[in-house]
Amino acid sequence: MIPVSRPLFLSLLIFILLLIGLASLSSAVIALTIPILLYLFYGFWRGPDGIKLEIQRELSAERAVPYTPVTVKVTIINRGGDLEELKVEDVLSPSLAITNGSNRHLISLAKDGKFAFEYTVCGPRGSYPMETLQVEAMDHFGIVRAFQRVRTYGQLLVFPLVTKLKYVSIHPRRTRVYAGAIPARVVGAGVEFFGVRDYQPGDPPRRINWHVSARRVEELYSNEFQQERVADVGIVLDGRERANSFSGGRSLFEHSVLAAAALSDALLRQGNRVGLLVYGHYLQWTLPGYGKLQRERILQALAHATPGPSQIFEGLEYLPVRAFPLESQIVLISQVMEDDYGPLIQLRARGYQVLVVSPDSVAFEENLLPRQTEVQLAARVVRMERQLLIAHLKRAGIQVIEWNVSKPLDQAVGQALRFRRPIGNRL
Amino acid sequence: MTLFALLFSIVFGIGSLAFGYLLTGFAPFARWIAFFGVLWLIAVWQRWRWFAYLGIAFNLFAAAFGLWLLNFPPGWMFAGAIGGLLAFDLTDFWNRVRFIDADEERRGFERHHLIRISLLAILGMTLASVAMFIKLQFTFEWAIVLIVIVVLGLTQLIVWFRQIGK
Repeated sequence: MIPVSRPLFLSLLIFILLLIGLASLSSAVIALTIPILLYLFYGFWRGPDGIKLEIQRELSAERAVPYTPVTVKVTIINRGGDLEELKVEDVLSPSLAITNGSNRHLISLAKDGKFAFEYTVCGPRGSYPMETLQVEAMDHFGIVRAFQRVRTYGQLLVFPLVTKLKYVSIHPRRTRVYAGAIPARVVGAGVEFFGVRDYQPGDPPRRINWHVSARRVEELYSNEFQQERVADVGIVLDGRERANSFSGGRSLFEHSVLAAAALSDALLRQGNRVGLLVYGHYLQWTLPGYGKLQRERILQALAHATPGPSQIFEGLEYLPVRAFPLESQIVLISQVMEDDYGPLIQLRARGYQVLVVSPDSVAFEENLLPRQTEVQLAARVVRMERQLLIAHLKRAGIQVIEWNVSKPLDQAVGQALRFRRPIGNRL
Repeated sequence: MTLFALLFSIVFGIGSLAFGYLLTGFAPFARWIAFFGVLWLIAVWQRWRWFAYLGIAFNLFAAAFGLWLLNFPPGWMFAGAIGGLLAFDLTDFWNRVRFIDADEERRGFERHHLIRISLLAILGMTLASVAMFIKLQFTFEWAIVLIVIVVLGLTQLIVWFRQIGK
C-alpha cells in the first residue's frame, strides 16, 4: 500500500523541478516538467466526475445444495458521464469458489452504456450475502480516482444436503390432536395394536381377535388399536466448538448438520410440528411449525448454522427446555460429552422423550490420526469411556443412536431410527 | 505486453541517463545509475510498487542535475525523464491490469493504454524539445511570469474541459 497519491507526488516533483529551474535559471530543467504536466493534465481532464451506476444482479438459483454451480449475472448501466476505466468487483465470500468466468472486470463505460458479465460460483453449506459491488472509476492513467461501494440485492443460500430417511420412529408421551403417524397411547383408529377388550355390538368382524375368543366358549373379544397423531419435536443441534472440533481443524459439525437436516425433513414429512435449536455460539431458535414452509425455515437456519465457542453454553445445562412443549420429543444431535449426562437426565426427569443421535467422535478422530499402537490404545480407552456414558444414558431411558460418520446417514442409522421401541414408558 | 513495456521503459530511461553521463566522461555516475536500474528491475520482479515513486524521482533529478550543473546534451536527459515517467505509469497500470482475469479484455486494455501513453510521451518530448530550441533571454522575472501563466492556464483549462464534459 502506498500512502501518497500519485497526482500529489507528481505535482510535488513538478514544483521541485520548477524551483531548481528558477534557482538555476535553467530553461532545460523547467522544460523537464512539460511531459509530467501533460500527463497530469490528461488525467485531470479525463478523470471521472462521479459514479452514477445502476446495477442489477441475477442468480440462476438463490437456493442450492453444496458445490452446485450457480451462475451470477451482473448488469451495469452507466447513468453518469463517460468512465474511461471502471474497475468492478462483485464482492464474494472467500468460501465461494469461482468455477467459470470472473467477478472482477476492468472496462470502459460510455454515458448510458451497458455492461454485463457472468460468472459461476459454488461453495459449501452456508449463507452468502451478495450485497456489495465495489467500483472504482479513473482516467486511463489512474490519476483521478473515484471509489464507491454500490449496494445491491442478492443472497445465495447453500442448504445442507438432505438425506431421505424413510421413517423416524419417535414415541413422545404427549401428542397433538391432529392425525399423524405417531402412536398416541389412546384407543382409536389406527394400525398399531393397542389391546383386547370384550366384543361389543357393532364391532366389525375383522376386528375380532379369534385367538383370544377361541379360549372362551361364549364370549368374543375385539382388538383395539392406537390412535396415530402428530407430535411436537424439538431438534437440538449441538454447535459447541469443544464438542465438534478435532485435531487438524476437522469438525464433526457438518455431519451433525446433515443429520439435523435429514431428521427434520423426515419428521416434517410425517406431519409433526418441528422446531430447531442450534446450541453453540449463541441460541439460534427456529420456532416449531409444520410442512414445507417449516422445512424451508429449518434449512435456512441450518445454512446459517456455525459452531462457535461460548463460555455460557459450554455445557448443556442452559438448554432452554421451556421452549419445548412438556413431554414432547427432543432429538439431540451431539457427540455427547461426559458432563452432558446430568442435563440429559434432567430433561428425561421432566418428562421429555429424548433421542440422541450421536456422531461417533472416537471413530472420526481415530481416522484422522496415524495408525500407531499408542493411538489405537488411546482410542480403545476413549471408546470404552464413551460406551460407558452411552450405557448410562440408555439406562436412564434416553435413546441413543450412534453414527459412524464414515458411512452415509441413511445406511448407518436409518434402520435404527425406523424400528425403535419406546423406552421407560408403559402403555 | 505491459510487463514487457514496463521493463523496456526502465531500461530505456536508465540506459539513456547512464549513456548521457558516460558520453560526457562521468563513468562512476553512469555505473551508479545502472546499479539503480538493476534495483528497479528487481523491484518489478518483487512487485515493490513503491519503488516506482523512487524511480521517477531518481530519473528526474538525475536528468535535472545533468542539465543544470553539467550542461549535458538534453536529448539523453529528456529520454531518461520520459522513461522514468513511462515506468511510473506502467507500474500502476500493470497492477490494475492484473485485476482482469479475461485475456481478451486485458489485451484490449493494454493495447489502448500503451498507445495513449506512447503518444503522450512523444508529445511531451516534442514540446520539451521545442521549448529548448526557442531560446529567449531566460531571466528570473520571465520564469516567475511563466510559472504563474502555466499554473493559472492549467487550472482554467481543466475547469473549462470539465464543464464541456458535463
